[in-house]
Amino acid sequence: MNIAQLLNQLPGAVAQGLIWGIMAIGVYITFRILNIADLTVDGSFATGGAAAAILITSGVNPWLATLAAFLIGLLAGLVTGVFHTSMGIPAILAGILTQLALYSVNLRIQGIGTDLGSRANVPLSINKYKNMLVSLRNVGSFILENPIWLMLFITLVLIGLMYWFFGTEFGCGLRAVGANQQMARAQGINTGLADIVGLMISNGLVAFSGALMAQYQGFSDVSMGRGAIVIGLAAVIIGEVIFGRLFRNFALKMLAVTLGAIIYYLVIQVVLWLGLNTDDLKLLTALVVALFLAMPYWKSRIRTRKRKGGPAHG
Amino acid sequence: MKKLISLLAVLTLVLGVCACASAEEKVYQVGILQFVQHPALDLATQGFKDALTEKLGDKVVFIDENASGEVPNCATIASQLVSKQVDLIMANATPPLQACTNATGDIPVLGTSVTDYQAALEIELDGNGATGMNVSGTSDLAPLDGQANMIKELFPDAKTVGLLYCSGEANSIFQVKKVEEYLTVLGYECKRYGFNDSNDLASVAQTATECDVVYIPTDNTAANNTEAIANVMIPAKVPVVAGEEGICKGCGIATLTISYYDIGWKTGEMAYEILVNGADISSMAIAYAPQFTKKYNAENAAELGIAVPDDYLPIED
Repeated sequence: MNIAQLLNQLPGAVAQGLIWGIMAIGVYITFRILNIADLTVDGSFATGGAAAAILITSGVNPWLATLAAFLIGLLAGLVTGVFHTSMGIPAILAGILTQLALYSVNLRIQGIGTDLGSRANVPLSINKYKNMLVSLRNVGSFILENPIWLMLFITLVLIGLMYWFFGTEFGCGLRAVGANQQMARAQGINTGLADIVGLMISNGLVAFSGALMAQYQGFSDVSMGRGAIVIGLAAVIIGEVIFGRLFRNFALKMLAVTLGAIIYYLVIQVVLWLGLNTDDLKLLTALVVALFLAMPYWKSRIRTRKRKGGPAHG
Repeated sequence: MKKLISLLAVLTLVLGVCACASAEEKVYQVGILQFVQHPALDLATQGFKDALTEKLGDKVVFIDENASGEVPNCATIASQLVSKQVDLIMANATPPLQACTNATGDIPVLGTSVTDYQAALEIELDGNGATGMNVSGTSDLAPLDGQANMIKELFPDAKTVGLLYCSGEANSIFQVKKVEEYLTVLGYECKRYGFNDSNDLASVAQTATECDVVYIPTDNTAANNTEAIANVMIPAKVPVVAGEEGICKGCGIATLTISYYDIGWKTGEMAYEILVNGADISSMAIAYAPQFTKKYNAENAAELGIAVPDDYLPIED
């Protein structure tokens, strides 16, 4: 064990955390704002990667390819939204159904242009596509190509856009739906439409993040979204537990989610550095998420106990 | 803050001195990134380690990591190995190979259990079969023509061959496509049965029993669920010819197989050449399995009443 080595590994964790941070903001929109646990993301993350990979390999500019991934993500969210609102399927099931369907869709997207019409893995090597937005190759260097700078920029722009959107009349209505659906409906807000739009934006961001991840790791794979929801939730919850007190503003809350994703990857990196056998990684991930999920509950328990024991003051 | 900086400076210095002191007797650091816990991949890693340990003794340390089947973990671990500045990386299976080649353009990366390097890296191999970059390794390409001939040898009267594979595995799709060509030339009618994951495997296998013979390539999902396949195929009396020994042992009749331990060992020998003899990885040809063996599953063959020629070896436990 060597502390210099650990320091060397941190940029990788930060870059990957920033990429997943965008995905986590998407999860935040459904999980916290709309109050829906949306499992579509495991599929739409890979859809974003698949779409971007196919476009980049056929010569499309990576910026355009990544934006196209966002648009396809919107469609994935639309499907879940329609399942949920027009067909009355419970949100969690609607998400699972879309996720399932997307597996086939992703195989087909990646298969575009092949004679089989379906492909499990598309390579996206930095040696060949030198204009890709981010790459694992440059993460250790201080040059401008280091993915951290661009990811910081993209993250800030996205947070700005989301802040603006959720401040518009429609965006405020969307937040009201998550806070109290009955009340929102009584105010004349179309709650079904709000759910659909929220799910669309969320999955758009998730697919956008998947597109960046595919470029970063140098390939897109149909199973790359497996477990994405866990990482997203972990980021949301870690961000809330650590920064919840400090960050009250909506933009800052999204920033907290991004920081949560970075912290998640830093923890993993440190744990690996400490010599954890990677066979136990999933167990550890589950425990970390469970612990952070429990923290707000424990805090409230302690608070109520104090209130009961102490003198009456409201 | 100043204190912190000076502390760090001192620390770096101390570590630097430590590194110098040990430079006389060079101990090679070799990173291993395996995709998932899986019998065949485990064997390849074992063969790799055994070969290097035999040649280098205690002058090699392994940093042995496993992505546990999660694709994003590959990038995490690859960047970790690169920042540790290991002397060589062994990438076991396709996603680790892709992540590692993307993470470094300098550190030699040796792959194993990868079927098709050209497809995995989107490159053309040069005339000698080398990649021309910091990547080489061994392929687990099974002798697909030999396997097709084996079906002809064992089941000359069969009409249809069902190809059972996981549609999410690039390697399987590649093999199915190839073997289909060979089988069609031999006069068989091929039907594809792609399943998505272990959940729909049994029902897809059930549909495949309409064929006279079923062929399963070296498919990771199938390898992990042979019992489920056996429970469908054996009662339906449909013989399975498998792409590798593990699947054949679980649910098959016969296989023409490579040994993952052998290709792992071969990868270890290549690593030795690079580390100690300074061989240039960019001109090292991708290596293939040194030998193929005809093997059969005695228990299943007896159950289905199939007589196997004498040159087949029974699979041992």
